[in-house]
Amino acid sequence: MQHHAPTLRSRADRYFDSLLRRVQPGPDGLARIGARQIYIVPTRAGFLYGAVMLVMLLGSLNYQNNLGLLLTFFLASVGLIAMHHAWFNLLGLVVQARGGSPIFAGEQARFEVSVRAAGGRARSDIRARKHDDQPAPIYIAADDQAVIVLTVPTLQRGWQRLTDVRVETRHPLGLFMAWTYVATDAKTLVFPQPAPHAPEPGQDAGDSARPQHTRHEGADEYLGARGYRPGDSIRHIDWKAYARERGLVVKQYGGEHGQAVWIDWAQLAASDPELRLSLLTRQVLDVSASATRFGLRLPDGVEGLAQGTAHTERCLTRLALFGFG
Amino acid sequence: MRQYQPRETAPERKQLFWTTLLVAAACAPLVRYLDAPITAFLVLIIAIRLAALRWPVVRPNRWLRALLAFAGLVNCLAAYHTVSGQDGGAALLVTMIVLKLLELDTKRDLRLVLILLGFLSVVQFLFDDSFALTLYLGVIALALVTLLAELNGGLDAAGLRPALRISVRLALQAIPLTLVLFILFPRLTAPLWSLGFDNTQGMMGMSDTMEPGNISELVVNGDLAFRVRFLGQQPPAAQQRYWRGLVLWQMDGRRWTLGTPPASATTVAPLIEAADPIEYEIVMEPSNQRWLFALDRPLNAPDAATLTADHQLLANQPITELKRYRVQSALRYRTAEPTAAERALALAVPDNITPRMRALVAEWRSAEPADDWALVERALAHFNQQDFYYTLLPPKLGANPADEFLFETRSGFCEHYASSFALLMRVAGIPARIVLGYLGGEVNQFGDYTIVYQSDAHAWVEVWIAERGWVRVDPTAAVDPSRIDNQAATELLGAGASVRFDLGETAALASWLRDLRLMSDTLEATWQNWVLDFSAQDQRQLMEQLGLGAWQEYGLAALMVVAVSVTLGAIMLVLLRERREHDPLERLYARLCQRLARIGLPRLPHEGPHDYAQRIAAARPDLAAEVGAWFRLYIPARYGQRHAATTVALLAKRLRAFSFQPSASSHQLNS
Repeated sequence: MQHHAPTLRSRADRYFDSLLRRVQPGPDGLARIGARQIYIVPTRAGFLYGAVMLVMLLGSLNYQNNLGLLLTFFLASVGLIAMHHAWFNLLGLVVQARGGSPIFAGEQARFEVSVRAAGGRARSDIRARKHDDQPAPIYIAADDQAVIVLTVPTLQRGWQRLTDVRVETRHPLGLFMAWTYVATDAKTLVFPQPAPHAPEPGQDAGDSARPQHTRHEGADEYLGARGYRPGDSIRHIDWKAYARERGLVVKQYGGEHGQAVWIDWAQLAASDPELRLSLLTRQVLDVSASATRFGLRLPDGVEGLAQGTAHTERCLTRLALFGFG
Repeated sequence: MRQYQPRETAPERKQLFWTTLLVAAACAPLVRYLDAPITAFLVLIIAIRLAALRWPVVRPNRWLRALLAFAGLVNCLAAYHTVSGQDGGAALLVTMIVLKLLELDTKRDLRLVLILLGFLSVVQFLFDDSFALTLYLGVIALALVTLLAELNGGLDAAGLRPALRISVRLALQAIPLTLVLFILFPRLTAPLWSLGFDNTQGMMGMSDTMEPGNISELVVNGDLAFRVRFLGQQPPAAQQRYWRGLVLWQMDGRRWTLGTPPASATTVAPLIEAADPIEYEIVMEPSNQRWLFALDRPLNAPDAATLTADHQLLANQPITELKRYRVQSALRYRTAEPTAAERALALAVPDNITPRMRALVAEWRSAEPADDWALVERALAHFNQQDFYYTLLPPKLGANPADEFLFETRSGFCEHYASSFALLMRVAGIPARIVLGYLGGEVNQFGDYTIVYQSDAHAWVEVWIAERGWVRVDPTAAVDPSRIDNQAATELLGAGASVRFDLGETAALASWLRDLRLMSDTLEATWQNWVLDFSAQDQRQLMEQLGLGAWQEYGLAALMVVAVSVTLGAIMLVLLRERREHDPLERLYARLCQRLARIGLPRLPHEGPHDYAQRIAAARPDLAAEVGAWFRLYIPARYGQRHAATTVALLAKRLRAFSFQPSASSHQLNS
């Protein structure tokens, strides 16, 4: 993980953030950008434009050149109108942010920001961003909706919240930047970062009465087929059956009931809880890849023996939220 | 891992291409005023730029670019020896902007070039203030805004079309604001600084001396001298329109000059009689001279000018920009007696008067021993009856032009006639002086004003006759019309430029061309009157008309702020309202709801069209059929995938056909 020292700009952004009246979502979860929540400043090009206008104005005034004044006033008026268009381009946008699918700490968390061009007006050059990234500008037709995917780097497990999105535009001439902060409650789940290696979990450690089994390749024995359920791994889909137009069928593998593994917090020696969670995550991933039934024991609860993607995800979610109540 | 993209992206090739084209187009009008080496350099750089778009290898590297920049600077210095004057400064500016074309690495560079084009356009107005150039640079400004919009991106499609739509919209909305600023932005009454920009170039006008040949330069010059608007009356006949300029008293044998002004020159010699004064307003082109022109005998001096004893109008400063003034003149008048000094000056003869000149005068004098005016008429008759020719291509004259002209060449134009005639009068003992000015002018019926061209320049004579004062005599007019050489005039003036000669413009095409020229002059005059000549003085008048005269510049500034705010507010209101007008179907539906509301069936806020239709059918069974049919057409059109324009037209037609009457029951309720 590479850490960037916060730039002056992002620090300033954060400072203003605290002063800003952000756009709060309504009860329907949609945030509507209002007139008083839009901020606008000239861009570098805007300042240059203004400076050149000033020189043109002074020169034309001095030489009493009415045509020079006329052209100066025309370009200045265009700039002034463009400023209002920038403001107008954001006004009335309806913004909603949603979290994306879970990821592991250290990966980029994805958020989907949907922006609707309400009010019967098309909008141009709309960008949504969270950090110093350079999002591509998008066009939204009148009353249409567009989705902007934001990625946020993650460091820690748990819920990654977006808290707010900066929606901005430099439409129409790039002379003014109008922006607004939209508060969101969108969150994406971040699993602990899996440790590179982890000790083999103790098999069936919870029941000493049962005989110990060693894992072997034969554990992936074909058990039969059943209909596809959401969450099943695509690796288990019987593609040949699908090709014969018998629908999506999942091949079931697995050992016998006795081939169950418990992944246990208490069996690990690492003192740092985060390191333990990291090791447990690796174990869960490893075991679920081998298609063995497994369970998870944590100090605050137990995830019973099961297998399948949904089960794995439940376990990872427990690990992600461990200790966060 | 956070991905940092470069903040400024490289421009696309077509963006570079468009910008290059626009820069070339913006520089093009300036080429007329630049030296050839400068233009050659510009063409070279633009050619390199265009070639580099096709073959990127051609693009000069950093060192070569630095070298080119240096070469550009040296080129400007070599041509103008300075970069601070108007020409040198403009040459440097345009050279540097074009050089920047080789260094467009980011979109920011493109924006810089585009914004600087605005400055380049303003500079061009120092050279040329015509309506045509203004239109051209207006188009350049629009293109500049279009490219800025395209560069910003995020539009519905790539290419210039959506950007052009945006820029046209911006421009249309900016126009009212531009006008408000133009009218109300306080102007300076005097420049804050001067970089020594020369405004004299290309100026043509009367010089303060007269020598054979120098009016003829003017006569072939089709440029505008001034425009006149007669206030409240028709212009006098063309042969009465003598526009008096300067009065020449002194003759050195070859050349007429102003001479030492007589002692009384500072006080105006009063007119003993002046009848039927004519009032008019003149808008005079810059001449870089102090002379103002006025019809025949001006009665008063305009602001910042004086009226001299010999009835010249003299401005306090040389006329370096458009000058507008209002004068009263008399066509019928009688001047007072000249002073002794004036008389002496008006009788002085140079020492190259030949015996045959004296003999000619003596012959006239012996016939008219006492009557000066009869002698003048005799002299005029001499020009008329002898074989004197009027031509713009006279033969060259030697050391004694008056003598040679009178007795040998006998062909010339106004200055030959005026000069020799005045000399003969002086020899005869009649005080005489030369007046330079313009004769005639073309009446423009489209604009209700008279145009006087440089080619209307003329010279005539004033003689002093007892009891009558100074009397105008135009010896040129005495020449027999059959001896006027139209051929030479036509060659010199070029087709269509003649205003002094009737060149037989009887053909329909010729008269049509003439009308076209007059109409375009009307446009130019309007332009001059309302745009070029708008000044702090007009603003003061405006403020006085609004009753804010006492507030001075502060009032103007305050008024400007208020007017700009109101205009901007109005534009925003239009913007906010316009979106509702977007969908014709919604508009039709709103109209239907309005009409139904009038008969007591308003749409409830929560009601969709379906429920509304049902409620109407229930409340008014008599309307159920036709309104129901309308809704059956409307609902799929509005909420379906797409609708045909014919559906909209049909809905509109049916809506117009409805004639809802309040139901009988509601009538009873109301009554």
